[in-house]
Amino acid sequence: MGPPTLDKIRALQRNPRNIRNLCILAHVDHGKTTLADCLVATNGIISSRLAGKLRYLDSREDEQSRGITMKSSAISLHYSNGDQEYLLNLIDSPGHVDFSSEVSTAVRLCDGAVVIVDAVEGVCPQTQVVLRQAWLENIRPVLVINKIDRLIVELKLTSQEAYTHLQKILEQVNAVTGTLFTSKVLEEQAEREEEEELGGDQARDWSSRPEEADDSLLYFSPDQGNVVFASAIDGWGFSIQQFAHIYNQRMGIKAEVLLRTLWGDFYLDAKAKKIMKGAQAKGKKPLFVQLVLDNIWSLYDAVVTRRDKEKVEKVVTSLGIKVLARDLRHSDPKVLLSAVCSQWLPVSQAVLLMVCEKLPSPLDMAAERVEKLMSVGARRFDSLPEHTQELKRAFLRCSSRENEPLIIFVSKMFAVDAAALPQNRQRPLSQEEMAHRRELARQRHADRMAAGYSAAENTFVAFARVYSGVAKKGQRVFVLGPKYDPGQGLSTLPEGVSASDCVSAVPHLSCCSMERLYLLMGRELEELEEVPAGNVLGIGGLEDSVLKSATLSTSPACPPFTALNFEATPIVRVAIEPKHPSEMPKLVRGMRLLNQADPCAEVLIQETGEHVLVTAGEVHLQRCLDDLRDRFAKIEFSASKPIIPFRETVVRPPKVDMVNEDLGKQQKVARWSDTLNVDSSGLVTLTTPNRLATVSVRASPLPPEVTGLLERSTELIRTLEQINMSLREGRSLDISPRTLEAIAGFKVQLESLLQGRKWRDVVEHVWAFGPRRYGPNILLNRVAGYQRPSLWQCLGGGVQAGEAAATRDLDNSIVSGFQLATLSGPMCEEPLMGVCFSVEKWDIQSSVPPQHQEEASTSRGTPADCKGTGSGATRPEATEHGPIPAGLRPEAAADCYGPVSGQLIAAMKEACRHAFQAQPQRLMAAMYTCEIMTTADVLGRVYGVLGKREGRVLHEEMKEGTDMFIIKAVLPVAESFGFADEFRKRTSGLASPQLVFSHWEVISSDPYWVPTTEEEYLHFGEKADSANQSLKYMNAVRRRKGLYVEEKIVEHAEKQRTLGKNK
Amino acid sequence: MSIFTPTNQIRLTNVAVVRMKKGGKRFEIACYKNKVVNWRAGAEKDLDEVLQTQSVFVNVSKGQVAKKEDLTKSFGTDDLTEICKQILAKGELQVSDKERHSQLETMFRDIATIVAEKCVNPETKRPYTVSLIEGAMKEIHYSVKANKSTKQQALEVIRQLKESMGIQRAHMRLRLVLPAKEAKRLKEKLKPLLQVVESEDFDEQLEMVRGNNIKIRTFIFCPFGFATLRFCIFSPCLLFSRHPQVCLVDPGCFREIDELIRSETRGRGSLEVVSLKDVEEGEEKF
Repeated sequence: MGPPTLDKIRALQRNPRNIRNLCILAHVDHGKTTLADCLVATNGIISSRLAGKLRYLDSREDEQSRGITMKSSAISLHYSNGDQEYLLNLIDSPGHVDFSSEVSTAVRLCDGAVVIVDAVEGVCPQTQVVLRQAWLENIRPVLVINKIDRLIVELKLTSQEAYTHLQKILEQVNAVTGTLFTSKVLEEQAEREEEEELGGDQARDWSSRPEEADDSLLYFSPDQGNVVFASAIDGWGFSIQQFAHIYNQRMGIKAEVLLRTLWGDFYLDAKAKKIMKGAQAKGKKPLFVQLVLDNIWSLYDAVVTRRDKEKVEKVVTSLGIKVLARDLRHSDPKVLLSAVCSQWLPVSQAVLLMVCEKLPSPLDMAAERVEKLMSVGARRFDSLPEHTQELKRAFLRCSSRENEPLIIFVSKMFAVDAAALPQNRQRPLSQEEMAHRRELARQRHADRMAAGYSAAENTFVAFARVYSGVAKKGQRVFVLGPKYDPGQGLSTLPEGVSASDCVSAVPHLSCCSMERLYLLMGRELEELEEVPAGNVLGIGGLEDSVLKSATLSTSPACPPFTALNFEATPIVRVAIEPKHPSEMPKLVRGMRLLNQADPCAEVLIQETGEHVLVTAGEVHLQRCLDDLRDRFAKIEFSASKPIIPFRETVVRPPKVDMVNEDLGKQQKVARWSDTLNVDSSGLVTLTTPNRLATVSVRASPLPPEVTGLLERSTELIRTLEQINMSLREGRSLDISPRTLEAIAGFKVQLESLLQGRKWRDVVEHVWAFGPRRYGPNILLNRVAGYQRPSLWQCLGGGVQAGEAAATRDLDNSIVSGFQLATLSGPMCEEPLMGVCFSVEKWDIQSSVPPQHQEEASTSRGTPADCKGTGSGATRPEATEHGPIPAGLRPEAAADCYGPVSGQLIAAMKEACRHAFQAQPQRLMAAMYTCEIMTTADVLGRVYGVLGKREGRVLHEEMKEGTDMFIIKAVLPVAESFGFADEFRKRTSGLASPQLVFSHWEVISSDPYWVPTTEEEYLHFGEKADSANQSLKYMNAVRRRKGLYVEEKIVEHAEKQRTLGKNK
Repeated sequence: MSIFTPTNQIRLTNVAVVRMKKGGKRFEIACYKNKVVNWRAGAEKDLDEVLQTQSVFVNVSKGQVAKKEDLTKSFGTDDLTEICKQILAKGELQVSDKERHSQLETMFRDIATIVAEKCVNPETKRPYTVSLIEGAMKEIHYSVKANKSTKQQALEVIRQLKESMGIQRAHMRLRLVLPAKEAKRLKEKLKPLLQVVESEDFDEQLEMVRGNNIKIRTFIFCPFGFATLRFCIFSPCLLFSRHPQVCLVDPGCFREIDELIRSETRGRGSLEVVSLKDVEEGEEKF
């Protein structure tokens, strides 16, 4: 049979009753693509000889070379069973855990799934995942147990052993389904109980209590007809029905009886010619072994093991099939085997038959599934607007009539080389055309040489399915974003609006037109004019309006479909940068395309300017990088570990040393130098180089709750800062009462958190926040007698203070110095966090050196000390602020150390840094929270990996109804590189972590610690070179930034290479 | 005359000599290579790891040991360890290969860090990463000079990089207040120095709304909105006489602008830094 013509497929598309949308799901390497090959071969698209070797649907080069599928791809097949003709929209999906997002996109578009299980390996982690996914999407699965040939050839099992083995596998699969079922029932029950507690007298539906709930239809069982035994590589496969049919004819046993008894504990009593129960108890061969497996075993024995030519011929004739002489003579027995088998029990026949009989057509979509698709988030279906609820009927009708609303779901966008599109494909050309083309090509070549790079473009095709109505080429539709609310849309849009009059008023709603429609045929695309409901299709021309997935509809009442549920969230982060910096724009463009083409990859630019690519795993990362290099960006780039941010902070002085000995009264050494003075309590006094100004600063740690509060309210602090700035300028502002309330609330919170003797009245004295004026550090005004306008003056408290409160000159320099100091700390130039600097003294000497005394004009009039603040309010310039008010006092600025304000900034910055260093310093690391779902048997290894990477387990609990554990842990971001990969390797893929940034945490070890006491020397040795986590981090950052790192260039002087001659 | 036989001869290999002249005499000590700089920086604390032998020489390569009386005369002590420490601290030294290498490498990193801190990508207004700058520096074959400060060299690097890639110093945001009379004239002079003028207010407009508080308020709010407000705030005394404008400048021009305004307006105009670095903040998702 040749490939079906386009017209035929078009005709078939119109009959949704005979359409089957199915996907093939399995663990990696269980033979999905091979099976797909066999099915494709029935349509004559590829030769049946090559089926299983070609892997037709693996169209990417790296898919072929690695031998794993990396993307889901669809193909439409034609199958006729008797008088019924079917259209199968088959989607092949990847099995590797990194690409489980592709599985999600495939499952969404299908009504049924073929789940494949390897007969040797049994149920693997991904098998569980795909079964769960199929379950969550409410699609019906059928089972194919594949690679039965391996039981014969590799494991050398007898047919009896194989039978028990197969039984076990079936039990495993059913166990997984059973778990899913019970956990769902339990969940529903819990929900119902909750509801009952809340509502009390709601309608009760007891139909699905666990003991009563009917789950018999869920399970796979050969006698139900939803299991096929196959060996896709050898091209054979069968279901019980086929053998029942055969033996019905041959032995005259009723087909129905055979169907019931062929799988199970039955045996054939030869004397009585009866089928009896209890084969195992009586030590008899079960019917399945006797009638089915033994035949296959003997065939393998004849063809592969013993290579008995005569016997083969006998078998061939008895089966009534013809084998080519060429195949008979072939030296490789596999060729002969597949020649025989593919005629005797063609796998495609068995699978297709099962698919057509057991999987639902688009018309039989469950109402439950529709409701689930249409109710976004936690919204209940009943709460959707009426128009929307009406659409449910359209879904269920799945009709292609003209007046039906069009509903399409786009599950992913994939990039196609523009040359592969049907409109650009080569046609046979006439002579003139060829001449014309040649001319054009020459032109193009010249252009390309001039432009310097090839202009091959990628176009995006949407992978989608029509749920209702007919999609027409060029039709305009609404694009519904995930947050679109049909209720809101309906109320704002006029009645009967169509997508052709473009509306932009409704949020998350836009319009676009479907430029082209394609039939997906694996690596080929065929252009179509229209696609009726129930079909999978490709849509061109959506790249500008759809990013990754979307819902398209002609009716604004349509709700956006629930988001795809991804089993793997992207967690592997790498920083990408071009080899040649001038190629940056190309890289950015390429990354944008990659982001659109991959459902799971994320791309972001960080504040440091890094371009970060986040992928689901290492294999996925490799694919993304290949795509970026060869397809989207076409440049050389490097991928590296991303920069890890840290924070610096101080802590309270410790009470005990590293070996838990009491430190007692610590003697701190006071330091003196020319301009710097650090006293034993940590108060730092610094004088500017021209000896005019002195500041005294003390640093202390803020309570962690305060730091948290400051971090949460950055936006508010920023607004506060703006208000204060304009208030300082003397203008009053209209501040909305909401903002004022928020600020007041913030202040109250701050006051309640800053309790105790040490923090008395602190909130009133807050001078500024930093860095960048809104960070989590506080500058306090503890200068005796200096009453600057309060930070909270917008709240009204500052108004009464009136005259007394005025800003001193150079007030801003102190703030600027503080900002600079908090922006980069002394440990490794990272921002500070949770530090409070209090300025305790600030003196400015009568500014000018003696020789310029006569110039000390009144206009400058800087108060000699802090008492003279009152004069500030009377002078117009007093409110003038700025780090360099140079224009106002040019002569003061002209001293050899630069302007006074600048010196003060520097002095303040240095003072802050020294004050910081006078306290015990600590590094703060960014932490991820890590949620891990794992089975009980790898729990130990999960703990192992976490422990190795400095992780800390917060809690673990068992999920009800399953044997899964949920572990919650925290892990430093710095340790997360390669974490996911190690995790999967160590747990054989049974546990998958999800990482989310949560908070900053102080690393308890002191980076500057050296042993001092006798006990510490004893415990840690003289060098104390056991791992100091924070020292490791600090040195890594310092080395990266080119700062001085205290470490020896060579460790042992004597061990250097001797350069002298041998003397 | 001493007899040189292999038994009583101590041969030193891998010597790094540290010399010092004191009291008209030259003293040398024999140290291990790649250790002296570490000792000076305080990273190496074991003297035996630095010194090959604790004797002080007049000439290390000839093996001539300094005389005791010379040592006491010059150093005031005959404690060899003490003298060695003095020489180590103050003498002139040979910088060994690895020491030089690590110094240059550190400087290279430092320069790249400074460049990355000071510059942005003009298209996105986001900083470049340090490693990218390092790559670019290698590409233009920039060689680090050990005797020039890293800051100076960073400025040089920025100039050179401008030719090969899109890079620009992050702009400073300044607020200038100019007296109305000289504003026009000064503006002409400032024009080449200013990159972008974000907002400008003329006193003529302000004259019109003088004395009417409410109108001033509307005037401030309407044309700029709240977002730009923080860059164009003026005190009431300035409202009627001056000419404030907010602009972005290249930090290299700062001194020049400062000079110009100070000299031309004779103290009546003013210059104020609104922000040192004008860059995009926060993460951006594609």
